[in-house]
Amino acid sequence: MDLFEKLQELRDQGLSEIDKAKTEEKLNDVRVKLVGRKSELTEILHSMKDVEPEKRREIGQKVNKVRDLFNQKLDDAKNEIVEKLVKEQLEKEAIDVTLPGREEHLGTKHPINIILDDLEKYFIGMGFKVAQGPEIETDHYCFEMMNLPKDHPARDMQETFYIDSEDLLRSQTSGDQARELEKHDFSKGPLKMVGPGKVYRRDDDDATHSHQFMQMEGLVVDKNITMGDLKGTLELMAKHVFGQDRETRLRPSYFPFTEPSVEMDVSCFNCNGKGCSICKYTGWIEVLGAGMVHPNVLENAGVDSNVYGGFAFGVGLDRFAILKYGIDDIRDFYTNDVRFLEQFSKEER
Amino acid sequence: MLVSYQWLQDFLKLDQEPHQLGEKITRTGVEIAEVKHPEEGLKKIVIGHIIDCEPIEGTHLNLTHVDVGDEEPHQIVCGAPNVAAGEDVVVALPGARIADNVKIKKGKLRGYESNGMICGLQEIGFADNLVPEKYVDGIFVFPQDADVKPGQDAYEPLGMDDYIFDFDITPNRADTLSMEGAAYEVGAIVDEPVKIENVALKADGESWTDNFTAEVDPKLAPKFNLRKISGVKVADSPLWMQKRLWNAGIRPINNVVDVTNYIMLLTGQPMHTYDARAFENNKLVVRKANQGEKLTLLNDKEIDLDENDIVITNGERVVMMAGVMGGLNSEIEDDTTDVILESAIFDPTLIRKAALRHANRTEASSRYEKGVNWDATERALDMAALLLRNNASGTIDEGVITAADEKRQPDVIHTTVSYLNKVLGTEISNDEVGHIFDRLNFEYELDGDNLTVNVPARRWDVSIPADLVEEVGRLYGYDKIKSTQPVLAETHGGYSETEEAIRRIKAIVQGQGLIEAISYSLTSPEKAVSYTHNPKKLVQVQMPLNSSRSTLRQNLMTGLVDAASYNMARKQNQLALFEQGRVYDFENDTYNEHEHLATLYSGNVYFDNWQHEEEQIDFFYVKGQLTNLFKAIGVNLSKVEYKAEEIEGMHPTRTAGIYIDGQYVGMIGMISHAITRASKALNGSEIYGYEIDLDTLVPMIISPKTVSKNAPKFPAIERDLSILVEESVSNQAIENVINDNGGKFLVNLRVIDVYQGAHIDENKKSLAYRLTFLNEQDTLTDEVVNKAMAAIDAELKEQLGAEIR
Ligand SMILES: [Zn+2]
Repeated sequence: MDLFEKLQELRDQGLSEIDKAKTEEKLNDVRVKLVGRKSELTEILHSMKDVEPEKRREIGQKVNKVRDLFNQKLDDAKNEIVEKLVKEQLEKEAIDVTLPGREEHLGTKHPINIILDDLEKYFIGMGFKVAQGPEIETDHYCFEMMNLPKDHPARDMQETFYIDSEDLLRSQTSGDQARELEKHDFSKGPLKMVGPGKVYRRDDDDATHSHQFMQMEGLVVDKNITMGDLKGTLELMAKHVFGQDRETRLRPSYFPFTEPSVEMDVSCFNCNGKGCSICKYTGWIEVLGAGMVHPNVLENAGVDSNVYGGFAFGVGLDRFAILKYGIDDIRDFYTNDVRFLEQFSKEER
Repeated sequence: MLVSYQWLQDFLKLDQEPHQLGEKITRTGVEIAEVKHPEEGLKKIVIGHIIDCEPIEGTHLNLTHVDVGDEEPHQIVCGAPNVAAGEDVVVALPGARIADNVKIKKGKLRGYESNGMICGLQEIGFADNLVPEKYVDGIFVFPQDADVKPGQDAYEPLGMDDYIFDFDITPNRADTLSMEGAAYEVGAIVDEPVKIENVALKADGESWTDNFTAEVDPKLAPKFNLRKISGVKVADSPLWMQKRLWNAGIRPINNVVDVTNYIMLLTGQPMHTYDARAFENNKLVVRKANQGEKLTLLNDKEIDLDENDIVITNGERVVMMAGVMGGLNSEIEDDTTDVILESAIFDPTLIRKAALRHANRTEASSRYEKGVNWDATERALDMAALLLRNNASGTIDEGVITAADEKRQPDVIHTTVSYLNKVLGTEISNDEVGHIFDRLNFEYELDGDNLTVNVPARRWDVSIPADLVEEVGRLYGYDKIKSTQPVLAETHGGYSETEEAIRRIKAIVQGQGLIEAISYSLTSPEKAVSYTHNPKKLVQVQMPLNSSRSTLRQNLMTGLVDAASYNMARKQNQLALFEQGRVYDFENDTYNEHEHLATLYSGNVYFDNWQHEEEQIDFFYVKGQLTNLFKAIGVNLSKVEYKAEEIEGMHPTRTAGIYIDGQYVGMIGMISHAITRASKALNGSEIYGYEIDLDTLVPMIISPKTVSKNAPKFPAIERDLSILVEESVSNQAIENVINDNGGKFLVNLRVIDVYQGAHIDENKKSLAYRLTFLNEQDTLTDEVVNKAMAAIDAELKEQLGAEIR
């Protein structure tokens, strides 16, 4: 057999062996056998000493060509095997992405605090400071400073938890007004504050009454505050809380610490003013009380009522939450049923 | 106060639709809670005249024939005890609709056809307490004087065609607790002049004033007037007056008592009549009650009088609780002939307290306590006397006994129109301001900008310029005030630093998956100091609603445990709750409030899942959450120490006090078996939680500001250390030794394993720690670390008898 025939035979045999090797390991063996240092191709080159030089060159070229072919085919085969392996691996790793995830507890804010935080941020943005007063308040700050002397008939309106003759659980956050008025240095500018917090009244708990609830007091005092300013401030707040398309109106009312005193109604967001059971068929829902600070309140705190004046308002946060979220039992706020509390997570902002 | 639309028309011209008028009054003056039209919803209810009436044998029923204006009388079966021939009555015809939307059909009773129903007043919508006593258990019978004819609608004769305004007054507007006051208010609102009738009385009897004395302490009764009416004949009041009374919510009694109620409704002045026989000594004394004195009131209530009650006596016996209610012993009876009529003003505070004290508030007392019109006392007395003459055929004896007559100067207010406009933010002209006071019937003088107003005595609520601002503002119309924003020097709003820190802490725990709860501050005395490290003196309210809401809490945990119990009773067992709020105590002679944070966990970390990853919440899970919180707010963790501690309500061997820099800041642990096992809802559940005193913690974290450091440039070296110690040695003790001897490059220490069991000696435990060393300035050499490790090993052996593994 001459070398050409042998080369041809080696080529055919080699290609078939590459074809048969189906694992990376076997392919390596084939590689060593076909193109390794001790391969038959190499042997052919070594055995060419006896061949005449012209032929030698020709054979050398042919051997190289076969080796290149082998290398090419070996690489292709290897790629194919690796690809297949990777594919198998990924298939094994496959998961059902439609199965549910593992859930942990989701923290939520209490609905009353959602309303409160929102209002606080709103007023902070308008330059109000947030003041916190004591819940165990004195008769002096809760009532007398607020123009409710002992024996004032309006004290009946607020059944109060007394602790002793002078100390009580505050029935209104108004005491914060008196404290801030006393503290404030008017030479340094106007007083603008909101005072939120818990208040207590001697009411038996039922669907519409709670012996504990939350209020927020607001107070603005300076030299030229008008009732128009009160109206504008309350209107913007009501729209912020209940929606920009709400209408508002003021009605005369009575609070010992304001004169004039008003209550504000917003147009019913359930029926849009047409009349329904929520608004008792009036089209309006009462949301808060307010008024121009009574001169006695200013004077009691040492503020000259001939120079300074202002407005005050009080918001029932439970009431706001009840109206905004359509809650029908105030006790739901304080029994802390997690199914009740969880639903408000989406209301937070 | 229920105000009749028809009665109002005695005083002024009204042509508004009643509901619209009600709305206008609400917007401008007094809230109208409701406008009631009694005939609304009723149908085919007419006057009937009973032609004959025969009992149906063997029953309590009567067979009647009633003329209802049809050609033929209706046969009607009636069960009322007071049905009789000749009566004018109320008949619901077949097809009628009566109260509560009940329909009347033709029917058969005991074999007799019945074409309609003869009605009692309740059946057509009257409240029980308004129906005259003698008609409560039967049908209503029109009095002889009633001008009614068979077949006409029954609404007008009964006043049911009226519209009734429910004036829901605020305490300052007691002036509208009378028809005259309401008329002034409505007149001002609709801008119509109001005419109030005056009286000119001519007595027609003997003079009585020389034979009767009245002693009155003017401090108790600054105004006190009496008249005597003789020879009255007690009977029913005329129908027109009964209608006005029941439409005002007052039950007609008889023609004497009704007059006093009527005059009170008309003028706002409470009146009283006594049977003159009660004053056998012709003497009346107004004084404070003596201890031990008793009185049986007209409502049969027996009262032990208090030394601060004002009473009317006949010199010996108490005959009335002044300003509140008369005594049974001076009541007008059917055989009463001579009547003493009283029109007085009593001290408002004493009346209010007496009514409250005896839980006996009346129409009279509620008017006295809010203040009555000082100008109406004498006029009311004369008007009542005249009506007694008209309605009860009495003779007015000559003379009035005036035992007290304090004068009250009307308030005169000086202000300016520009002040009113400045406060309102308006530009109301002088003319318009003047017109508003005309509408109010206030006398005033305008001199340029200067305004002087004489306030009539009926308006107790108006005494200072700010009160005039309200009068002008509301009648000008709050709708017309332009909405503006205050134009002020800039102010910087915001929270205090403490409040900011608390808000951050709440945000973190909420982010950790906890639901925010709000509990009641008032709890039971036991719960108030449960879960409390160092209970202080209880703070309790006087007159609590009940004993479980009598005491202010000294911890928040109790509220969360209550919440857990509420939820678990409803099969909600996976709980993660927090509350941030105040606790309260009494210490150092003062009431204190402290901001706290508490959390409560129960169940598993993950909700039920298909992978069965159900890590149960335990002490160390909760402690890990707290550690993360501390880390997040910048607490130096190396200064935090946990000391096993026993706290009431907490598991005695699974609870720790938490100390930072040696200061107690709170506690962490498991709720005791004693509590969870005793509760059906909690059912022995493992419940964990912690409670932190934010008043102590917050100051520790708000002062130091973080100074940024570069990330370390050199790598850290980690070494693991495994030791064997006696079971009783705490991790804290080991960590202390490691930290004390690890040198300045030891930056972190973490427990990576704790083992106790078969592979080691009993009473021993094995712990493994990972120590991290770092030199931020230079590369750390093994030599330095080895030296530190050697020092640690030596001290662990020396101090704790540890075996290094
Ligand atoms: Zn509505």
